Amino acid sequence: MGAALGAGDKKSVNVDLNIVPFIDLMSCLTAFLLVTAVWVNIAQINIQPKGKSRDQAQVQQDDEHVTLSVLVQADRIWVGLSRVNEFQDIPKKGDDQDWDKLESTLKEHKSSTFFADRSDLEIAAESTTAAPVKYQDIIHAMDLAVKVGFVDVGLSDPQGLAARPSL
Amino acid sequence: MPVQSAGPRLYRSIKFKHLVRHAGSSAESRASNIALNLTPFVDMMTILVTFLLMVFSSDTTLLVAQKGLELPIAQAHDTLQQAPVIIVTKSEITYQGQLVATVDSVLRDDSPGFKIDALFERLDAAAKKIREDVAMGHQPKDLLRACEDAKQNIRAQSGKICPDGLAILQADESTDARLVNKIVNTAKAAGFDNLLFAVKNK
Repeated sequence: MGAALGAGDKKSVNVDLNIVPFIDLMSCLTAFLLVTAVWVNIAQINIQPKGKSRDQAQVQQDDEHVTLSVLVQADRIWVGLSRVNEFQDIPKKGDDQDWDKLESTLKEHKSSTFFADRSDLEIAAESTTAAPVKYQDIIHAMDLAVKVGFVDVGLSDPQGLAARPSL
Repeated sequence: MPVQSAGPRLYRSIKFKHLVRHAGSSAESRASNIALNLTPFVDMMTILVTFLLMVFSSDTTLLVAQKGLELPIAQAHDTLQQAPVIIVTKSEITYQGQLVATVDSVLRDDSPGFKIDALFERLDAAAKKIREDVAMGHQPKDLLRACEDAKQNIRAQSGKICPDGLAILQADESTDARLVNKIVNTAKAAGFDNLLFAVKNK
């Protein structure tokens, strides 16, 4: 595969490029990139901390503003509306939360007149030592909210939810 | 070492007829030079290298892989951007790679403050520094523009959020929600009003 350009070779006009170094380079580069490439796609969910925390004074409630609140507990999920004080209980289905029901509930609220032109929603998780709630469940609830159209998700303290079910 | 007769040889004992260049009917028996067609191979390598270089352009280098940390899975596709990173593994809470507290100690703490003091100190200092940087214009222009937009309540594009009050939470999927609440409250108290929860795409 050497270059066949020679001073004395008057007949030959074909040139063979030596592509061996090129192939070597490509092989090394491919091996290096395959070893060092990151195959896991990492994304983000953007949230705004909302509500009141324990060390804060009472948050001033906007009486004109109806807020959609989602409370994730270990065995159920509550979806509630402030002011109206309507709550929907979504019990756990088997070992996992009923995410399909939560999605359909959020869709219903999104299509209602209250939230058709709004994208805010607040989520809280109530976890105890006896009944812990995992971070994955919060993320799942947020992910569904964003998917439905509530892109301004706020994470609140359970006590700081605008609509909190009284048990 | 005694000289031995040569064993079977390629193209003589083992005839690679499909590789032998057919220059003519009588040339088959004489031809010993073969020409492998390397063009598809070079094409494949070029495409592979291009693809891998494109994979390299992902933003995952913003996060440092932690042993035993499994990010939660979500469908969100918004890209991450540079910001201070709070990492919560199964046993530790670290900020920018420095140990802040252990998970057990934070979960055991029932103090009324409802925030993690060690984390608050670090976040508070970081928030002040970022705020100064933004005020002095020591940030990329598009991010400074995002800060101006944020003042007018204009929603920023993904990956171009104003760095003032922006932090990343990289927590294990099994983290207790009480811990997440405490970290969020701590971040909020320190001035981080915008948190990016790092997730793994489905």
